[in-house]
Amino acid sequence: MEQLKVKLNVNGEPIELQVKPNETLLNTLREQLELTGAKEGCGLGACGSCTVLVNGVPTRSCIILTAELDGSDIITIEGLGDERNLDPLQQSFMDKGAVQCGFCTPGMILTARGLLNRNPSPSREEILKAMSSNICRCTGYKKIVEAVETAASLEAGDK
Amino acid sequence: MITSKFEYKKPSTVGEAVQLYNEFRGKAVYLSGGTDLVPRIKLGLEKPGLVIDLKGIKLLTQIQEEGDFIKIGSLVRLFDLKQNEIVKNLFPALLASLDATSCETLQMTGTIGGNILQDCRCIFYNQSEFWRRSKGFCLKMGGEKCNAVPGAKTCFANYCSDNATSLCTLKAEVELVGPDRSRRINLQDIYTNKSDKPFSIEPGEILTSVFIPKEKTSGGYEKLRVRCAIDYPLLGVAFSSVNGVGRLALGAVGAMPYVLELQQPFADTVTDAVDAILNKISPVNNTVLERDYRKRMIPILAKRLVNNVMEGAK
Repeated sequence: MEQLKVKLNVNGEPIELQVKPNETLLNTLREQLELTGAKEGCGLGACGSCTVLVNGVPTRSCIILTAELDGSDIITIEGLGDERNLDPLQQSFMDKGAVQCGFCTPGMILTARGLLNRNPSPSREEILKAMSSNICRCTGYKKIVEAVETAASLEAGDK
Repeated sequence: MITSKFEYKKPSTVGEAVQLYNEFRGKAVYLSGGTDLVPRIKLGLEKPGLVIDLKGIKLLTQIQEEGDFIKIGSLVRLFDLKQNEIVKNLFPALLASLDATSCETLQMTGTIGGNILQDCRCIFYNQSEFWRRSKGFCLKMGGEKCNAVPGAKTCFANYCSDNATSLCTLKAEVELVGPDRSRRINLQDIYTNKSDKPFSIEPGEILTSVFIPKEKTSGGYEKLRVRCAIDYPLLGVAFSSVNGVGRLALGAVGAMPYVLELQQPFADTVTDAVDAILNKISPVNNTVLERDYRKRMIPILAKRLVNNVMEGAK
């Protein structure tokens, strides 16, 4: 199987990689780049725990081939903020206790980031709709929705 | 992880894509959004030698008016199509089915062409190779028996495209470009009504565009599923009416959308029309809901949908 050369910008850093044609973005992130924030849940695109932003769009990294993404910008949970400067969503997920086991959290936060990027002041209904792309098996959706609402109003206050 | 090995190519024209297909004949598959294909490859249901990524063909990402039709490129993402003003204004059934498809994140990846050409689904088929091997391969996997209906020699997998069901009520047509010819046919004519090989598309043909007659319709879409996001339909009912003609389509209860024309007044004729088609379709116990329940819900959802649409049109 011939390796392919792919250029990506991952969390703001341009990188050039050799990938196998059957390598998913999730494989590349976790195994080549050691970015283990994105999680493999179902591995079939249903659960959303592998969600990352591809060119700003929430994307299931377990069902997209890295080869498809030559030239793309990827943001993973590691690149959203750092310890001193958290993304408002990361902060609000902590403040609201919107994390139980934490497995779905990176995907939840990146789905929410995608929503707030395209719609800075979503209604509760719009938040529910966007967040229903992701499954939390601890089933604690209430606080997740509250955390997204809080982050949205925090960001609105910043402007 | 994907265990099967394949080559990957990304052509920039339809001609190049078809040529690549010819070079790898029998071993190549076309990839658009990948939300149906990649899971199938992961489960070993598809073992291609070459994946031809169509996303390099920019021509297929446009929506435009062409004569009496709206022409939608097959690579238009479902989420983008849902935001389109023409769709919002003219085709409420399509708007509703787009909105009901899976979830927003997958709508942003999946394309309209890929959604139409998704394979039929069955809880005994969409499983890992290990699982399927232990049960014994079914007809759709090249085996000799159906695992959903003991003794059956026919495959009963369900065609689960929400949007093809609504597009059939809108009299949509599709353009297919292949190695030998291009053709434009009614969407309804791409189906074989056989779940193990659902499409009559010739090897190498690419669905390049969907055409919808440019008419303002009334309509809607009702979807039966266990949870209101991500799930495939366990029954889909679409209805569109224009110029006094009503078309109802049933999805996810067989190998294709089943379309029936309704006479006016639609709210009064829908029950009889649906009763007549119930004899011709036979949902079986191959989803997470029981066959009898799904069948009983057909007239209920059909009537509810038609009533709601006619109420809204007043």
